[in-house]
Amino acid sequence: MGLIDDAAFLLLSTVAILSGWRVFATDSMVRASFLLMMSFIAVGLIMLLLAAPYIGLATVFMMAVEMMVMALFMVMFMMNPAGLNPMMMVHQHQLAIGAGVFAFVGLTAAVLFTDLPDDRVDPGAPVVHDLGVELLGNSMLIFETAGVTLLATMVGAVVLSSRSGRFGAADEGSRPPGLEVGGEPAGRQPVQGGGGHHHHH
Amino acid sequence: MQAVAILSVLLLLLFGAWLAAILDRAGNALVAGDRVRTAAVRPLHDLAAHLSRQTTTTEAPDRLNWRLAPVAYLALAALGLSVVPLAPGVVAADFDAGIVLWGACEALTVVVVFLHGWSANSEFPLIGGYRYVAIGLPVMLISMFVLIAAALPAESLSVAAIVESQREIWNVVRQPIGLPLFLLLGLSLTLRGPFDYADSDDLIGGTRAEASGAQLAAWQFARLAMLASVSVMASAVFLGGYLGPVLPGALWLILKSGVVLAVLIAAGHLLARMPPSRMMTFIWTVLLPLSFLDLVLVGAELLIWG
Repeated sequence: MGLIDDAAFLLLSTVAILSGWRVFATDSMVRASFLLMMSFIAVGLIMLLLAAPYIGLATVFMMAVEMMVMALFMVMFMMNPAGLNPMMMVHQHQLAIGAGVFAFVGLTAAVLFTDLPDDRVDPGAPVVHDLGVELLGNSMLIFETAGVTLLATMVGAVVLSSRSGRFGAADEGSRPPGLEVGGEPAGRQPVQGGGGHHHHH
Repeated sequence: MQAVAILSVLLLLLFGAWLAAILDRAGNALVAGDRVRTAAVRPLHDLAAHLSRQTTTTEAPDRLNWRLAPVAYLALAALGLSVVPLAPGVVAADFDAGIVLWGACEALTVVVVFLHGWSANSEFPLIGGYRYVAIGLPVMLISMFVLIAAALPAESLSVAAIVESQREIWNVVRQPIGLPLFLLLGLSLTLRGPFDYADSDDLIGGTRAEASGAQLAAWQFARLAMLASVSVMASAVFLGGYLGPVLPGALWLILKSGVVLAVLIAAGHLLARMPPSRMMTFIWTVLLPLSFLDLVLVGAELLIWG
């Protein structure tokens, strides 16, 4: 069993590293998103080897949804038709290389100089149950705070970056064109008094 | 025992897909007054016809993703099915967190369908892929909530434990909102009927518009296999799986799955499709709150009587 585990670990970590590298070498946002997803899936499967089935699978499924949404939003906001046009996936080269080398050296040092536990998890241990008690017990406040903060950040980022609406700037009150020339705006009417000023012609 | 279970999973997918293809045609033939008798062999004729045609290509597709999408779709159907116990103690992948594995398969299905549409490098498949993400993701959220509700009485994420928790009363009785919502997920995962926003006729086939030959055959087979997989999962989680009197457990599971399969196919043919934007509103304002309600009701029930 030990040999199979080791082989699986080596295979999965190779996939994780190679697909992580390809994220920065590819020329399409959609490919970059799903290569990153593949890297994370490999890491999630390594979690399974480490007897953390829930965390491993949750990583797979969160990353699948997350990278899907990321690909969609990147294409929407970047004006690159459908993410099919080739584009450079890296910028600020010197800073990026410096930061990469620094992070690699730091993490390698942390791994090499930390006294990592090597006791095997008892196969009968209720790991999923214990994780649930931990998540919904003492650590609940931390996780919930982090979750709501992330959600607020996402909503804020979308609001700030999507000012230009379909019928004009979003904060100026958007009015769809009328059905006749100079007619009343078609479709749903903006609520009176709510946000921005209204144009009168 | 595990080898038997793995083989059974593959047979379930193969014959489930065939049965689904038969029922798909039999319904139409019955309504149109055609001969129903030939429905059993027509899918095989279609398969042979697809396989005898060339596999064409487009200008500069992402060939790797395009060719692999049907394979990945089929693999996800098999992987999701592998955590379902086929009879007491017979399960291909006896996994503590089986229902989470199924959830991961659902999420990856959205990715695979999107990639199938994106990688063809052609307009209609691309629109189908994007439209599917918008509809497929919230439908997947709905299924997460009803599956969590089904796992609550079992106090476990293992599908085997969820089946065993239904010895007294099936989940479809205990939490009646769950099954219909899960069936909607089935329609969405298999690009069918009211939830077919990826491969629909208004996009001349959507993500499969440019697929042909063996690739198209593989894609259509994967859709039908996923339908079989969803049916078995629905009967395990909501209809007591292999539980039942007199007959052997595996037979009960097959019978229940067959009924669910027929209901799904009928729903796919009988329910009309809404425009994508209206469907989005419907999902976020009606179906998703319904799945919350399901979870709240199950929680309250377990607190009071559990």
